[in-house]
Amino acid sequence: MDRRSFIRLTAISGTGAALASCGTPENELIRFVPDEDIVPGQAVFKPSVCPLCSAGCGLTVRLMDADADVMRNGKSGVVRILAAKKLEGNAAYPVNAGALCARGQAAIQTTYHPDRITQPLKRSGQRGDGRYAAMSWDDAIGEVVKQLDALETAGKQKALAFFSRSNRGHRSALIAHFLARFGAPASISYDIFGDEVLRRANAISFGREQQPTFDLPNARHVISFGADFLGTWNSPVSQGHGYGLMRQGRSGVRGTLAQVEARMSQTGANADEWVPAKPGSEGVIALGLAHLLMMEKLRTAAAAGRAGAAIDGWSAGLPDYAPERVESLSGVSTARLTRLAHALAERTPSVAIVGGAPLAHTNGLVTALAVNALNALLGSVEKPGGLFFTPQINLAAASKAPAATPSPSESLDKAAAAAQVVLIDGANPLFTAAPEWKLREALQQVPFIASFSTFLDETTAMADVILPDHTFLESFAEALPESGSLTAVVGAAPAAMKPLHDTRATPDVLIEISQKLARPLNLPWMTFEEMLTATFMALPAMTEGSDAWTDAQEKGGWWGTLPARLVTQAAATPAATKPIAYAEPGFDGDATQYPLHFLPYSSSAFLDGSLAHLPWLQEMPDPITSAMWSSWVEINTATAAKLGIADGDVVEIASSHGTLRAPAVVSPGIAPDVVAMPAGQGHRTFTRYASGRGANPIEVLAPARVEGTDALAWAATRVKVTRVSGADGSLILFAGGSREEVRGRG
Amino acid sequence: MPKWGMAVDLDRCDGCGACVTACHAENNISTVGADQAARGRAKHWIRVERYWEGEFPDVRLKFRPVMCQHCDNAPCEPVCPTYASHHTPDGLNAQVYNRCIGTRYCANACPYNVRFFDFFNPSWDKPLHLQLNPDVSLREVGVMEKCTFCVQRIKATTIQAKSEDRPVKDGEIQPACAQACPSRALVFGDLSDPESEVSRLSRSPRGSKLLEDVGTKPSVTYLSKQ
Repeated sequence: MDRRSFIRLTAISGTGAALASCGTPENELIRFVPDEDIVPGQAVFKPSVCPLCSAGCGLTVRLMDADADVMRNGKSGVVRILAAKKLEGNAAYPVNAGALCARGQAAIQTTYHPDRITQPLKRSGQRGDGRYAAMSWDDAIGEVVKQLDALETAGKQKALAFFSRSNRGHRSALIAHFLARFGAPASISYDIFGDEVLRRANAISFGREQQPTFDLPNARHVISFGADFLGTWNSPVSQGHGYGLMRQGRSGVRGTLAQVEARMSQTGANADEWVPAKPGSEGVIALGLAHLLMMEKLRTAAAAGRAGAAIDGWSAGLPDYAPERVESLSGVSTARLTRLAHALAERTPSVAIVGGAPLAHTNGLVTALAVNALNALLGSVEKPGGLFFTPQINLAAASKAPAATPSPSESLDKAAAAAQVVLIDGANPLFTAAPEWKLREALQQVPFIASFSTFLDETTAMADVILPDHTFLESFAEALPESGSLTAVVGAAPAAMKPLHDTRATPDVLIEISQKLARPLNLPWMTFEEMLTATFMALPAMTEGSDAWTDAQEKGGWWGTLPARLVTQAAATPAATKPIAYAEPGFDGDATQYPLHFLPYSSSAFLDGSLAHLPWLQEMPDPITSAMWSSWVEINTATAAKLGIADGDVVEIASSHGTLRAPAVVSPGIAPDVVAMPAGQGHRTFTRYASGRGANPIEVLAPARVEGTDALAWAATRVKVTRVSGADGSLILFAGGSREEVRGRG
Repeated sequence: MPKWGMAVDLDRCDGCGACVTACHAENNISTVGADQAARGRAKHWIRVERYWEGEFPDVRLKFRPVMCQHCDNAPCEPVCPTYASHHTPDGLNAQVYNRCIGTRYCANACPYNVRFFDFFNPSWDKPLHLQLNPDVSLREVGVMEKCTFCVQRIKATTIQAKSEDRPVKDGEIQPACAQACPSRALVFGDLSDPESEVSRLSRSPRGSKLLEDVGTKPSVTYLSKQ
């Protein structure tokens, strides 16, 4: 016996005796020696992949020894484990290049969250009230198998609805295989701030149904239409990194930024020129700029090719979009339009970005197509300093498993209404669905709901059975970043630490269910690891003398130039058959009764609300308002004065679909006819930190759709605002007074 | 002897707040919850200040990350009756927690508002405590806490370099805020080395110190937005 083992054994028996004397039999010591060679006080670093948004940043996890209360084989006890201590950006990973956003930093709190679901549960109360009793994994899996077998027997395979997070990785490919072989429609990944509209537009304009990547380090001028690309949109860390280089990464060249939007976002706050525009008019501004570029012979119409051909009147130089008309539609003056057009033409390479609210109006698809055509006209597509599409690996070719394409699914509301069985993987659509869709009522009628969620949120609280997932630190973490890198990236890493609770990795649980069905689905893999291995073994090794899978597990993934046979080819999307003309945005609510535009936005801390359960993010001051633990409504200074609203006053927001109350933040950075509100708060059920806190702006939204898509037009609701009372203390600001004394608002 | 300092390029900083959360994660800064935060007791060793200029529609917003400026002529130090707040040879404004008796004189004297008083013992809802960094001591009730430039990282790297019989490389030490920063706005290093990145940036014509005229001689240089 060496010295270390001796010390470890004496320590264990000592702790055991201490525990026994405390009379807490549930804390019985688990007598197995951890297989890692843990050196007390010495940090170990392992790779992982951030699961919180679709950017898929690479992580380096710092681990050290810790005594943890864990569950093993149904028994709880204390054991020494290597515990994650801090998440850093993976310096070699192309997307985030060693950096990590505030949300990514806080991802570690999902693993150590006190309100995690620690074992399988069955519902013991009414749906939605959150009362559950313990059950075994065998029973939980058996219950799901029984319900799916019943669907199969009844020939109703199509009545299985699968709600998942938007994710392009192996996990979603596995789910697609599962659903295709079962005979169910594709999974529904409803994401209110998702980019379905932009993907559709990119398919029409460029033949790529994909989010774009911007080469900001080489850009000299950027015009962004509503995209909060430094805050929450697309791949913010990659874009933040590129932004730093665009500003100060080149000797003698400083890239500039113009931002067109109705409410100053974090990105807008960094712009050299902030251009407030009427909500929904961003597309006509893009067309107006294109018109000027062509009229002044700075660019030729033919340069825009297919993307230009998708726009009505393009080849004639967009005669309908002369600056005077654009000015009347958008509120942006002719002089300013001319200046913006010249900046794009002269400060090259230049690129236009569109995302967020402009694409959430009823005319969002036209807006995206207009900006795409502007980029094509500028010659910024697939050119340095412009817009690229990150090469995507073809998983079917890599893993040699035929592609699984389940039949297309209905929209969220229709699918829920028709479902007999609903499976939920990490999604919480009840929180972000338009109230008019009656999703809660539909789920109440579904005979069986199972969730794989780690937390009890609004949607999972409707489940009959919960089969909790490991967190990303406790299982294989993986992502196929759709954007944020000029080279292909396949992120994957093994579990960084041992599970704390009696949870199981959802991909493996799905495989087990598929094997236990009366008609087994015969998925091509026996475990999720097998699936990942198959992909990586098809890739060339990044390091000489290693194979790609061994290498990936050390580095946190694979990146580089994909062999041609593994590249997902641009889909042969037909170009638009009929050119599309600009359409004025439509708004819900009569303008005289509801005079203000209502603009929810993705919160810096919580995105759509899926991160409101993390205390570090609750207490992180918002970049624009410094608010913590709060909801608020931003309202223009002059408008507030007219309505008699002072900073911190409680106001009521009423639309034709609902009302909510929240404190007001009077702001100079928002148009007078607009009020804005961050999403994320207003949870009914989402752990001790988020439940019952603040208000959810989505609850007053009209169910308008973006024309030509299924996406919710979340910026298309009009509201009225009335003062209810003075400050009620619910607005908590970090700034604005000395720390020891609460002054002014809040 | 090194002289630690930082350069903050405001032309790169986009106000995202990654530094704020990274600091919490690294330095065992407890969250205080909504009620205590409403009483002004939230602790953020680094914060992103924002300044509005102008009125709609000609309005601008500027961000400025503010942490302890590690002044050479620090007003917090001479007022401390127990020498808890003191100056280290390598230029840090250090705080010895177990000497601190909580007079809060230092916080009153500091013009940057970067010192935070612990009004109660920190607590973590289990098992959130498993995340705690064993390299950083916890602060109990009645103690002042503040940015240390991640002194634990400075020490660890210095000791490592010494054991390998080599100097610390420029950029080898990164405080948590600088490491997380997506736009690389924060650069940390040795100001006594004229070739270091932080020295080079600190000499920039865009550079200035925060509240320079009060005579604190900060070790942090802000590079203005162009």
